Amino acid sequence: MDRNDSFREFVAAHQQALMRTAYLLAGDAPQAEDLLQSVLLKVLGRWSRLSRIEHPEAYARKALVNQYISWRRRRVTTEFLTAEPPDRPYSSEDSTVARLVMRQALMRLPPRQRAVIVLRYYEDRTERETAELLNCSLGTVKSQTHYALARLRALAPELAPKLADMEAEEANR
Amino acid sequence: MTWLRDVLVDLANDSPQVDLAERTIATHDRRRRTAVSLLAAAMVVVTALGVTAAIRLLPSEPQEAASTGDLPARGVGPLSHAYKTFCEPDSGKAPSGCRDGGWRVVTRSGKTYHVPEALPSLAPGRTGLRDSPLAISRDGRKIAYYSAKEGTFQVRDLASGQKTTAPSKVPKDWLGSVSRLMLSDDGRFVAFSKVPEFKDPALLIDMRDRVVRQLPNRWVPIGLSQDGATITLAQYSPRSRLRTISNLRPSSSGGNTTSSVILPGHYFFSPLAPDGKSVAVIENRSTAEKPCRQGNLALMDSFTGEKRKTTVISGLSPDVSQISLRTWLSADEVTALTMSVRCRPASEVPDDEPAVIDPPYRTMTVYAVNVRTGKARKLTTYRAQGFFEIVLPGPPGAM
Repeated sequence: MDRNDSFREFVAAHQQALMRTAYLLAGDAPQAEDLLQSVLLKVLGRWSRLSRIEHPEAYARKALVNQYISWRRRRVTTEFLTAEPPDRPYSSEDSTVARLVMRQALMRLPPRQRAVIVLRYYEDRTERETAELLNCSLGTVKSQTHYALARLRALAPELAPKLADMEAEEANR
Repeated sequence: MTWLRDVLVDLANDSPQVDLAERTIATHDRRRRTAVSLLAAAMVVVTALGVTAAIRLLPSEPQEAASTGDLPARGVGPLSHAYKTFCEPDSGKAPSGCRDGGWRVVTRSGKTYHVPEALPSLAPGRTGLRDSPLAISRDGRKIAYYSAKEGTFQVRDLASGQKTTAPSKVPKDWLGSVSRLMLSDDGRFVAFSKVPEFKDPALLIDMRDRVVRQLPNRWVPIGLSQDGATITLAQYSPRSRLRTISNLRPSSSGGNTTSSVILPGHYFFSPLAPDGKSVAVIENRSTAEKPCRQGNLALMDSFTGEKRKTTVISGLSPDVSQISLRTWLSADEVTALTMSVRCRPASEVPDDEPAVIDPPYRTMTVYAVNVRTGKARKLTTYRAQGFFEIVLPGPPGAM
């Protein structure tokens, strides 16, 4: 198997999982695709070395999170999704509504807080793993998680009780 | 915690399905070529004699006129192999009359033909996003390929020229980044599978009865019973697994039955052995510092994953670094396609070394390896760009 083939294999095996994280980070499909494409280009550029390490996807994942943060920092005119929540009373039990509300609230988080939420609660990373992926301290992860959940509560009052329960649970962990 | 994860998972389910491998390689290729062209231009400016050098560094001109003809309508002898051509190899020359992403078939008597009906793996401008597979029946007398004109798979008898087209269309998008095709010995069944696995299925097509059955994707078809009712599949990434699906024929009563086994290591698989239950395997023990390290040859039970016999291969050229197991030549001998490439430890590879887009054409040596004694005897040599770019008669192995 030559390097191009092994790169194809790598992409085939991991792109969908990476795309899901990219989508949660970027917030829409075209931006998520751009984000992942730029990360894969970076991976391909170093493939001669990466293909020989045990988990090249770990490099790709770290590059994805950091590329996202650096993109968002540069794009000061933050793009917000335009979809409005439906015109009816919210019920946090309604997954469609919860998804819409959460999508909007997530988009309004600063990039690092959004990344913390995605890594901690979607990818189920430990605080230490999250710190490693974000190149920051454990304390920063803890504080960013706290701020992010507090901000989500404020941005999505309909979901606040659930988020408050979660934060209490988090404090006891 | 669970609640937020559920919402995020729900949200992530809206993410688009993508296949970015070819696009990434094409973009990388373009950037690299631009860089090379700029470097060439700079050389023209700074050196009086730079013209010659700059011309050498520009993208290569189209190859000379084809000396290889198109596959004749009929009267073609049995094939020894087929290979895919990408025309801008990183070093060395592309074959004369190279067609980017096209397939060539080679007869046992040494005649080579283009297969213009097979969809190329690269669209003009090197922008293709698919892998177009081809398979050869074990006797070398039939081929299966994705017909660009018909938009689905086609089987062609090389002697008579008779073509059979699959009963339903298969969208090009389903071809994926790495696809595999298997043609049954009698040319009746075509099995197709690919990665990445999206929602679209892998397929088992009965060309005679015009029935299409869906299979799980990401699994390489490595064996099919004569009646098409039992298929053996191998998965090599992210974990090595073997799976057998039985009762596939529509006439069978009851549903499919599946046996699946997850293996403790990573393996390269041969096609299913003539006994219908064994596969030859070589353990992939590569590490960062020993990227081509492989285990011994073993016979494995395809249902249980149990290794029956392990043998040290002897008689290969000492510089062989990579092995791909292919067609069984008899109950005891399996084909081993080998390459002798230098395997550099990760520590020797510079971080900024550019990836090879089109690998050079390499000589591959074919051996028959006795799975009981491990003894290898050299059969012949072929030239191709890599194991994925060469097809031998019979089902594919899984690398």
